[in-house]
Amino acid sequence: MDSPSPPPPPEDSPPPPPLPSTSSGSPTDFLKAVVGKRVVVRLVSGVDYRGLLSCLDGYMNIALEQTEEHVNGRITNRYGDAFIRGNNGS
Amino acid sequence: MADVPSQGVQEPFDLIRLSLSERVFVKLRGDRQLTGVLHAYDGHMNLIMSDVEETIMIVEPVEGAPEGEGIVRAVKRNLDMLFVRGDGVILVSPPSRT
Amino acid sequence: MTSQILPLELIDRCIGSRIWVVMKSEREFTGTLLGFDDFVNMVLEDVTEYETTPEGDRKSTKLAQTLLNGNNICMLIPGSAGPESA
Repeated sequence: MDSPSPPPPPEDSPPPPPLPSTSSGSPTDFLKAVVGKRVVVRLVSGVDYRGLLSCLDGYMNIALEQTEEHVNGRITNRYGDAFIRGNNGS
Repeated sequence: MADVPSQGVQEPFDLIRLSLSERVFVKLRGDRQLTGVLHAYDGHMNLIMSDVEETIMIVEPVEGAPEGEGIVRAVKRNLDMLFVRGDGVILVSPPSRT
Repeated sequence: MTSQILPLELIDRCIGSRIWVVMKSEREFTGTLLGFDDFVNMVLEDVTEYETTPEGDRKSTKLAQTLLNGNNICMLIPGSAGPESA
């Protein structure tokens, strides 16, 4: 699974401003900073999950709220809550 | 952590813990999905579910259609009790808590 | 809420019984469960292997004692006679 990323900007808009300088920019800081925000979680398969990031853990297991599943740009499912399994090194 | 959106969910597994004995939706690798009652889980996301309906999506290639497109056929089967190996789990969605 | 049953405890209770194993590929096995480990590698006996070909045909093969690599296992259905019963 890839890292969650903030929602993409609307088409044709300028690139997003850099993250606030309070964050040192490490992946951990980034993830802490986006908890509670709307994110896109893209799986290796290309499926996107868009929703409000409730929380995540060290395996990158992720809990989302108000989740939409997008495949090829189309919404294919909606979930109130969703647990997405991370790379749990099994 | 002041802006954590929902109460009781501090880490992702809390979402699963709160879904024990509830009917959940599980999406698995290989275009399979399950709905059933969640009885047990562990840190690998191994699951025990009962009263399960499994849906397998089978894409049948169609002459002339591009690769990966074709008729999608859903095959369903019902299973009383089921163990799911955690590494096949993509997503678990509990019943709506609203 | 802290005393929870774990999935592998339930599989442990199936030792000695018939079990249906669905692999991640189009391959399934039924057999008597002799044992398993933390990786869900499992040993079965009196095994029937079911293979579904892309054409949708089902081919079955009888096997004696068999070790299945847990990496390839998707689901286990305890006490089941296998794909013909579902």
